Amino acid sequence: MADTLTDFVSEDYLQEFEGKYNAEKQNGVPSDDTTFHYAWCLVRSKLLTDVRKGVMFLEQLVKKTSVEQHHKRDYLYYLAVGNARLKEYATALKYIKSLLQLEPGNRQAQELEKAIKKSMESDAIKGVAIAGGGVLLAGALVGLGMSLLKK
Amino acid sequence: MSGGPYNYSYIFKYIIIGDMGVGKSCLLHQFTEKKFMADCPHTIGVEFGTRIIEVCGQKIKLQIWDTAGQERFRAVTRSYYRGAAGALIIYDITRRSTYNHLSSWLTDARNLTNPNTVIFLIGNKSDLDGQRDVTYEEAKKFADENGLKFVEASAKTGENVEEAFLETAKKIYESIQDGSLDLNAAESGVQKKPTANGARSLSADNAEGRNPSSCSC
Ligand SMILES: Nc1nc2c(ncn2[C@@H]2O[C@H](COP(=O)(O)OP(=O)(O)O)[C@@H](O)[C@H]2O)c(=O)[nH]1
Ligand SMILES: [Mg+2]
Repeated sequence: MADTLTDFVSEDYLQEFEGKYNAEKQNGVPSDDTTFHYAWCLVRSKLLTDVRKGVMFLEQLVKKTSVEQHHKRDYLYYLAVGNARLKEYATALKYIKSLLQLEPGNRQAQELEKAIKKSMESDAIKGVAIAGGGVLLAGALVGLGMSLLKK
Repeated sequence: MSGGPYNYSYIFKYIIIGDMGVGKSCLLHQFTEKKFMADCPHTIGVEFGTRIIEVCGQKIKLQIWDTAGQERFRAVTRSYYRGAAGALIIYDITRRSTYNHLSSWLTDARNLTNPNTVIFLIGNKSDLDGQRDVTYEEAKKFADENGLKFVEASAKTGENVEEAFLETAKKIYESIQDGSLDLNAAESGVQKKPTANGARSLSADNAEGRNPSSCSC
C-alpha cells in the first residue's frame, strides 16, 4: 500500500479506461473527460511508458484549457504526480507552482509539493550513497595499490 | 528494502466516500490534524492521509484515501476502492439529497470492496442541529437495515470523529483475530508489518490463549 506518488492502478481499470478512450477515438476525437480519466489511470501505472503517455495527454489537455476553466487544477495536479513518478522533479514542482498560483494556500497541493520534495531528497541521498560508495571503493583500490607498492 | 523496525504492526486501508461537500476532507483533516478547515477547496481527484492509532495494544497505521465526490471523478475514484479494509460513507445531516444518494454509494462500496470490509455510516455536521434535514432515527434505521455502523459526527467540533475512525479499526482488528479476515488474501486491505520487538505474530497471540473476543479496549 502506498501514497499519492507510489500507489498503482490495477490492470483491469487501466484497460477499462483505455478501452473507452479507444472507442471514442474510433468515432472522432475523444472527449476531455474520457482523455482525463485515461490519463489519470496512466500516470498511476507501474510502467513508466504509460506514465509518460499519461503526462503527454495531460499536457495536451492543459494547453487547450484556459485559466478560468476549473478543470485546469485537475490537470496540473496530476501532471505534478506523473512527472514526480518519472523523477522529473523540476517539472513536477513547476506544475505544483502553477496550481498554487491559481489557488494559493491549497493544502492538498502543498501536501503534494512536500511529498515531491521528500521523494526528491531521498533520491538525492541514494545518489550520494552510490557516489560515496564509489569513493570508498576508489579509496580501497588506492589503499590496495599502496600496499602492493610497499611490498 | 530496509528491514528496520516499524513502529506499527499493521496497515489498514480506508476509503472515504459520499457526495461533494458533505465534509469528507474536513473529517479526514480533523482526524489526522485535530483541526477544522473552515473553507477548503474541493478535493482534486483523490487525496491521501495517514495516522498511527492504537487498538487493543497494537499500533496500526491507517492509510486513508479521501475521494472527491464529483460525478466527473467518480468513474476513476472507484479504482481506489479495491483492497479497502474500511469504508466510511458520509452524508450531510443538513442536506437531504446527500442522504438520498446513500444507497448508490453503498452499492459501490459493496460491489468494489470485499465482504469483510467494515462499512461505517457517518452523518456529518451534527453541530448544525438547527438546520437538520435528516433525523437521527431515520438514518439509524437505514444503517441497521443495511448492517452498517452509524454515528452522527462533526468535523467542526470533532464530536465522534475519533470514535468513528477507531471503531472501524477495532472492527477490522476483531475480524483479523477471529480469522474471518484472511491477511494473505491480496485484497484484504490489511498488511502486517514485523514489530520492533520481534515477530509477535497473531498465531503467537492465540497460542498464549487469548480469547479473540476479549478485546475490550
Ligand atoms: N458546520 C460544519 N461545516 C462543515 C463540517 N464539515 C465540513 N464542513 C464544511 O462543509 C464544506 C465542505 O467540506 P469538505 O470537507 O470540503 O467536503 P467534501 O467535498 O466532502 O470533502 C466546507 O465548507 C466545510 O467547512 C461540519 O462538521 N460542520
Ligand atoms: Mg473533499
